[in-house]
Amino acid sequence: MKLWKNILKRSRKEYTMNKIIYIFASLLWSSFSFANSDFLVESDWVEKNLNNPNVRLIEVSVSAGDYERGHIQGAVNFKWHTDLVDTVSRDIVSKENFQNLLTKSGINQGDTIILYGDKNNWFAAWASWIFDIYGVDNVKLLNGGKTKWQNENKPLTPLATAVSAGNIIIQDPNLSLRAKLADVVKVANNESDIALVDIRSPAEYEGKIFAPEGVQELAVRAGHIPGAINVPWGKAVNEDGTIKSVSELKELYASVGIDGSKPIITYCRIGERSSHTWFVLKKILGYDVRNYDGSWTEYGNSVGNPIINLTGTVWGNT
Amino acid sequence: MHHKIKIPPLKNFLGIIVVISISLWIKVELTNESGLFYLSLWIGLMLGVVLQRSRFCFYCLSRDFVEKKDASGLLGILLSLVIGTIGYHFVFGAFLIEPVKPYLPPNAHISPVSLVLILGSLCFGFGMSIAGSCISAQLYRLGEGLLSAVLSLVGVLIGFIIAYQCWNFFYINFISNAPIIWFPHYMGYGGSIFLQLSLLVLIFIFLFFFHRPQNKLISQYWWENRWPTYIGGILVGLIGMIAFLRITPLGVTAELGRVSKLIAGYFEMMPSRLNGLDTLQGCISAVTNLFWSNNGLLISGVVMGSFATAVFSNDFAIKIPNKNELARTFIGGLFMGFGAMIALGCTIGNLLSGIMTASLSGWVFLVFCFIGFYAGWATRIKFDI
Repeated sequence: MKLWKNILKRSRKEYTMNKIIYIFASLLWSSFSFANSDFLVESDWVEKNLNNPNVRLIEVSVSAGDYERGHIQGAVNFKWHTDLVDTVSRDIVSKENFQNLLTKSGINQGDTIILYGDKNNWFAAWASWIFDIYGVDNVKLLNGGKTKWQNENKPLTPLATAVSAGNIIIQDPNLSLRAKLADVVKVANNESDIALVDIRSPAEYEGKIFAPEGVQELAVRAGHIPGAINVPWGKAVNEDGTIKSVSELKELYASVGIDGSKPIITYCRIGERSSHTWFVLKKILGYDVRNYDGSWTEYGNSVGNPIINLTGTVWGNT
Repeated sequence: MHHKIKIPPLKNFLGIIVVISISLWIKVELTNESGLFYLSLWIGLMLGVVLQRSRFCFYCLSRDFVEKKDASGLLGILLSLVIGTIGYHFVFGAFLIEPVKPYLPPNAHISPVSLVLILGSLCFGFGMSIAGSCISAQLYRLGEGLLSAVLSLVGVLIGFIIAYQCWNFFYINFISNAPIIWFPHYMGYGGSIFLQLSLLVLIFIFLFFFHRPQNKLISQYWWENRWPTYIGGILVGLIGMIAFLRITPLGVTAELGRVSKLIAGYFEMMPSRLNGLDTLQGCISAVTNLFWSNNGLLISGVVMGSFATAVFSNDFAIKIPNKNELARTFIGGLFMGFGAMIALGCTIGNLLSGIMTASLSGWVFLVFCFIGFYAGWATRIKFDI
């Protein structure tokens, strides 16, 4: 009995020691790393914290089988198409469903949540936006996403992660992070002073094409919302997919007149690439930003609202 | 006792040398591509070797049974399903801890069970009898020098294009609301393994009841002897599991589908949309690679792997078909292509991978493909073709 008690005592002691070391290490890390801000973590940090019980990894990849055939050890899988949107009405995931998802995924109050995924972290950025809307703190993006992790030859596993129910409680949605059609229509009609950022490719912005290659044309008009400035999402990242430094980002957006002095709305085609720019502007630069998830597939189809099509393409005109 | 192991003549190694050289060249070409492409090639090579050495031909083995009462070949196929079922369930447990609806293992071959699946399976079985082998066997027999296989594969491509014209009708009327049945959803992984193995054992007993042992010719040169089909079955089951774990379940028609789409597109014979097949994946679909593809490399691997061992074992012989054979293999190819497209897979993708996946669609394919095979076989006997 005594032996047992000693062992228990020792392991408890070690656990506290580990916890102290983790806290100390993360403090140390955040003190000398710029973008390892409150919202970004580097792959090396994640690698060192794989066994940290308070760090929870969530993969948000959209290619079938991508998570299953290899994810970072301990990561659970959120499926954008079914978990992070409402599958019936066009909307973000409901509070009830998101709460269930987090509970089922074993997320506890106070955990540090690390999001990452394929496709340049677009869908992981969408997830971070959803977490923000539902008032969950300590949510960070793995800088460079899954691609960088793989390029660094860091290990992946096909073994699914078994978790027991978590105790996190989410808040009512904070809708000030989300823009609706009416908000952008006001901008288009010069009725509100908001900087609108179209993060699609120049060809989509100018109206040369209705949708990027490989994607169905879901809008019957091509072009952009009047007043929108075109800053493709990819300008905010380096070649390895990591987000640029704060000074570079400030310079990039200031060069088109976006300096945080007025509120910003980001949009793209369906709202997931614009989540990436939303993350950069809101989380890295700290500006006041809303994401317009209706994006061009809503605005470009809406009746009676002005658009700008620099190319003059006419849908269905062969 | 020490027997001196005989070594085959040097010329027998020629095929292996050629194939390894080609695979090294492909490795260089793939330097900047996904590492999975090269793995696909090697899975294809292994599969080609196994199919060729163990004569893993669904038509030939079925015919051995109905003509000669030799069930050993079909028993080999059953064994591959046993190994594959167990292997697949291990992988399922890694991918999805609990098989809860609506989740399905990724890219698994679980198709809707509809009248169209039945029609496709019948057509496929009938076509493989007429053509003299199914699509995978055409590929490995091409490696053995059977030139008619080329024409048969052309037939398959045209069969695909014909099927594309009917697809939207089939999809809207029969497939869109057909059930997708994956056994683990209803009985868990344990129950699913039990059900599958029970069914396989029942078929095993049934076949064994009719089985009459045969005298087989044994060559004095070990390299000329085929491997027993049960060895092939075990290896095919293992290769199937590896393919599912690392890339996608085994199948040999995806690349044929891609090529036939390109051809149909060129002749403006492609419907502007194939309902249900053109699923929107994510926001931006994967960049379409114009040349390399996993499945293209896999089927090239099958032909090359078969060629390597065919030369090694003196099975390689260029066979020039006569007019009758040309017509037969071409028409058989048409039926196989049509059937494989509407059933969403052939004897490999649907029968092997589908059953290993514990999908009802795999079993439906098995039953109706066999009926189609029997009809085709009887037709050939009756009209002496």
